[in-house]
Amino acid sequence: MTQHSLTAGRALSWLPPVPLIGAKFLDLRKRTVLMIVTVAFTVALPVIFYGIRLLFHLSDPARYAPAGAPNAFATAGTLMDEFGFIVAVALGATAGTADLTDGMFRHLVITGRSRLALYLARIPAGLSVLLPLAAVGFTVSCLVTAFLSSPHAAGAVPPSPGAMAGAGLWLELDLVIAFTVGLGLGSLMGQRTVPVILLIVLEIILTPALATHVLPYFLDGQRLVVGVAMDQLKPAALAGGTRIGPGGGPGLQIPPMPTWAMITVIIGWILGWSAIGAWKMTTRDA
Amino acid sequence: MTTIDETSPSPHPRAGQPASGQDGDWAVEVHGLTKRFGARAAVDNVDLLVPRGSAFGYLGPNGAGKTTLIRVLLGLTRADSGTMSLLGVPVPAQRGRALARVGAIVDEPRFHGHLTGRQNLKILAAARGGDAGQQIGPALDRTRLTQRADDKVSAYSMGMRQRLGLAACLLADPQLLILDEPMNGLDPAGMHEMRDMLRGLVDEGRTVVLSSHLLDEVERTCDQVAIVDHGQVIRQGPISELTGAAGAAVEVQCSDPPGAARALGQPAIASGITVTEVGLTVTLAAGSAREQAAEINRRLVAAGISVYGLRPTHARLEDWFLSVTSRLGEEQ
Repeated sequence: MTQHSLTAGRALSWLPPVPLIGAKFLDLRKRTVLMIVTVAFTVALPVIFYGIRLLFHLSDPARYAPAGAPNAFATAGTLMDEFGFIVAVALGATAGTADLTDGMFRHLVITGRSRLALYLARIPAGLSVLLPLAAVGFTVSCLVTAFLSSPHAAGAVPPSPGAMAGAGLWLELDLVIAFTVGLGLGSLMGQRTVPVILLIVLEIILTPALATHVLPYFLDGQRLVVGVAMDQLKPAALAGGTRIGPGGGPGLQIPPMPTWAMITVIIGWILGWSAIGAWKMTTRDA
Repeated sequence: MTTIDETSPSPHPRAGQPASGQDGDWAVEVHGLTKRFGARAAVDNVDLLVPRGSAFGYLGPNGAGKTTLIRVLLGLTRADSGTMSLLGVPVPAQRGRALARVGAIVDEPRFHGHLTGRQNLKILAAARGGDAGQQIGPALDRTRLTQRADDKVSAYSMGMRQRLGLAACLLADPQLLILDEPMNGLDPAGMHEMRDMLRGLVDEGRTVVLSSHLLDEVERTCDQVAIVDHGQVIRQGPISELTGAAGAAVEVQCSDPPGAARALGQPAIASGITVTEVGLTVTLAAGSAREQAAEINRRLVAAGISVYGLRPTHARLEDWFLSVTSRLGEEQ
């Protein structure tokens, strides 16, 4: 017998195999309440939003702009961003804690599979649930904007296909960030509720405050908040036709960041929280 | 300090098993293992040898450190010191390799309640990899869960979850099963069924380590046992040897049990006397049981006590366990 080093066992492989990702996908997809909320916040929300606008427009076209007016595209994008963030955080925190709270974590560790692989499997599994649904909702928004728009009535030029694609990628990136942060924080704390509350507070209260108020001697700290960096990358189509980015814009009061700094902050949040979650996963007593 | 019973210096492999001393003789091999929680040692310098192909009981009262040792063995928590191996493979250094042929239930088996039994097994099979997925059907059949495999686990009884836990173990086609209180929550029929399943697994040449406080079940299921208390293994060996060392007993039916106890106690001719409603249970000292039974009869008749019957019995695991633990209590 060999003297063991009392350190973590050597992992077979840190790469999660496809069946393991599929297994986690199954676990998440079968959570009825979570899936209802996810579909509601990603798909049903824009459908209802545009449906109401369409009804208003049909009832009084002179008073109400067409459903697909450019400002509606920006409003729908903001709604999908905010509610999508919440549901992405909830999904991430669930993915990060469900095995633990359901008692499956112990079974999974006993299989001998690398704990890191178990953690990493949650990322593609969760994003496979979230991103396609968000894409469906955003596609609804794009179709309405493309086919039910009236530039003259709205007084603005509808976003081009390229601009809409950019907006879609930005929204998806925001969801990826929210999911990975929720996953990492959930894994760290071992429970779902507090991480979701903390990240909603960050998104709804702290980020807008930090993006619009310059705090003396804390400007660099403000810039490290991922929401601030994301706001500066926000496409013009989602900002009501006005680009808020390098150079600044309405609503953004702090001096703009260089693009490389924004990207560094965003990647840092994704990788940093993933590392924290993975570390906790590999060192936690099961 | 851990002590191993001198009457049984080491567990004996079954016939056909490799001779001791060779690498890989033992399904579980632990030396000097210690796990502390703060100042308290939950596992205190434990040595443990489990021979391959045996049913091995790991006994102890609640809080004795049984589950902690199992958790350390399986890599669920880390040890503070010591060496250990499963199936001859050192852990945690090669934990993944060692656990590839190990199935285990630790504490109460819990699963994703919103998924069916079969879906839970699919998740675990995906984590195991290899051909574990092909073992789902046979594992469900063997644990008699096939009919309920597509029901949600939230609707399962405790006994069904225990069986699902065993099915999860079988996905590995395990050479070693480590089961923590597998009889918990089972009704008598379920316990009988579980016992038969475990014996069947041992008969196939697999090793079963059974942690329990249900002495009767362990005695019926296991070949060998280790007793753990306060984090230490205090006795270890084949059940027949350990209970044999505890001595035989005679049940005495008589007219005056308290008076009989006094008559036999002055001078003492037995290692233990227990008064019951209808008589006495006298644990005999070493030596001829027939002669001692005759001496008991003579003494009672001489004391004017009517003897209605003398029935020799063998010490059971429970008697031995209680004698060991009571001895410990006296030492403390």
